[in-house]
Amino acid sequence: METKKTREGRGVSEVSDERREVRPETGGAAPGGGSTLGMKIENLAAFYGSFRAVTDISMDIQANKVTALIGPSGCGKSTFIRCLNRMHEVIPGARAEGKVALGEQDIYAKNSDPVVIRRRVGMVFQKPNPFSKSIYDNVAWGAKINGFRGNVDELVERSLRQAALWDEVKDRLKESGFGLSGGQQQRLCIARTLAVEPEVILMDEPASALDPVSTQKIEDTMSELKKSYTVVIVTHNMQQAARISDYTGFFYIENMGDPGHLWEFDETEKIFSNPDRKETEDYVTGRFG
Amino acid sequence: MPRESFQQELDRLIDDVLDLGKEVGGSLENMVKAMESHDGELAAKELGVDVRYKARGAEIERDSMILQARQAPVARDLRLLYTTQSLTNHLVRSGALTEHICQALSETAGAERDEDLEAALLEMARTARNIFNEGLDIFRDRDIERARDLQAKDDKVDLLYSEALNLIANPSETGAGDPEWRMRAALIVHYLERIADHGVDVGGSTVFLVTGERIEDAMRQYLEREIGRNGE
Repeated sequence: METKKTREGRGVSEVSDERREVRPETGGAAPGGGSTLGMKIENLAAFYGSFRAVTDISMDIQANKVTALIGPSGCGKSTFIRCLNRMHEVIPGARAEGKVALGEQDIYAKNSDPVVIRRRVGMVFQKPNPFSKSIYDNVAWGAKINGFRGNVDELVERSLRQAALWDEVKDRLKESGFGLSGGQQQRLCIARTLAVEPEVILMDEPASALDPVSTQKIEDTMSELKKSYTVVIVTHNMQQAARISDYTGFFYIENMGDPGHLWEFDETEKIFSNPDRKETEDYVTGRFG
Repeated sequence: MPRESFQQELDRLIDDVLDLGKEVGGSLENMVKAMESHDGELAAKELGVDVRYKARGAEIERDSMILQARQAPVARDLRLLYTTQSLTNHLVRSGALTEHICQALSETAGAERDEDLEAALLEMARTARNIFNEGLDIFRDRDIERARDLQAKDDKVDLLYSEALNLIANPSETGAGDPEWRMRAALIVHYLERIADHGVDVGGSTVFLVTGERIEDAMRQYLEREIGRNGE
């Protein structure tokens, strides 16, 4: 946990000085020898035009832990995690207020480059979205355009191994990513995210479109990933949150049309055994609605 | 309400636990009556209840396990299933102890007794019965304030326990009673103390069910608040 090497050791020394400086060090060891960061969110609000979708969100996302976000549909979970890597603002009219720090760096500060932030805080989406390329290129491409000059073969193998896909695809790396099953495609997307060596991985319902076996593989992968990364996952599967996460945040909307709030945030053990708030208990026990 | 059928299954499980509790309570009532009236026949009616209670307990445990496997309960539902299993164990154990006492009563119905020791035993039996019934009421009503009081009532049983043991260890020269009865009385004293403890634990489990805290933690916080309030 004490490893505090710079990212140069991870083979991305070619990035600009401005981009390199956005890397305070806390947390645990990443696979290439770099450090893992947590995130600190203070008074975050997100808007779509004049509509306030979520408000007053403050929470600490611990390094090398899995944080699950649960809550009913439309309460702002996905909006919230898209604010954590500045993806929210790519929607026309969408914006965020408040502070989101990756380590010590305010990602919304004027000198923060959203492209760098999105590389350092990677994202895996609900629906697997591999590129129309080979399995190998799906993994290697992002790293190459980010200036990776190291051994690409090693990077591809390491990323696929971390995503628990290597053994299934090592003999057909040149085949199209579209030829894989849904669960394999999702793990390919995880490998692609890992290849650019992020510090935080955001996952927006990564297993909701997958069968139970593929879901289990994704969950097993997450347990491994948290040793090297900080993971945030949005899930509608309560048991999944209970199984894989260390911390759980419950998002809730009091009245239709109101913004979503972080209603309760605690250790997963607490949320699923004895939450403080009635609404949380109603939701996790399925008495909601 | 969502999960209506799950709630119905939970309610049925609670009813099963309460029914078992009522039956054990009935056995305890007969035990006290048999002690009061030296009625060996009434006591003998309770012989064999242990097997029946154990079978009922096993059914409740099985139903609870099936609910856990099928419904993946969390939070208050999980606490409820955990509590019903724990409670069932207390109820079954109380039933078994009651049968042991009734067996001793039926086999020593006509024996000569030490009056003081018998009075202590009777008081202990009534108190243990009351604590058991109150523990069950606390669970039924989720009345955790009474659970805290129940702990204090158990102190009375502990005092009677010491008094009865003292009488057993130091018999008077006249009126010490039949030696076999004295030996059985020593066992009865121990069983009654255990039944009272089971009753207290039933109440204590309710504190966990409602608050998620162990009664020991809840009591400690309560005492700390009281001490703080009194400036001690």
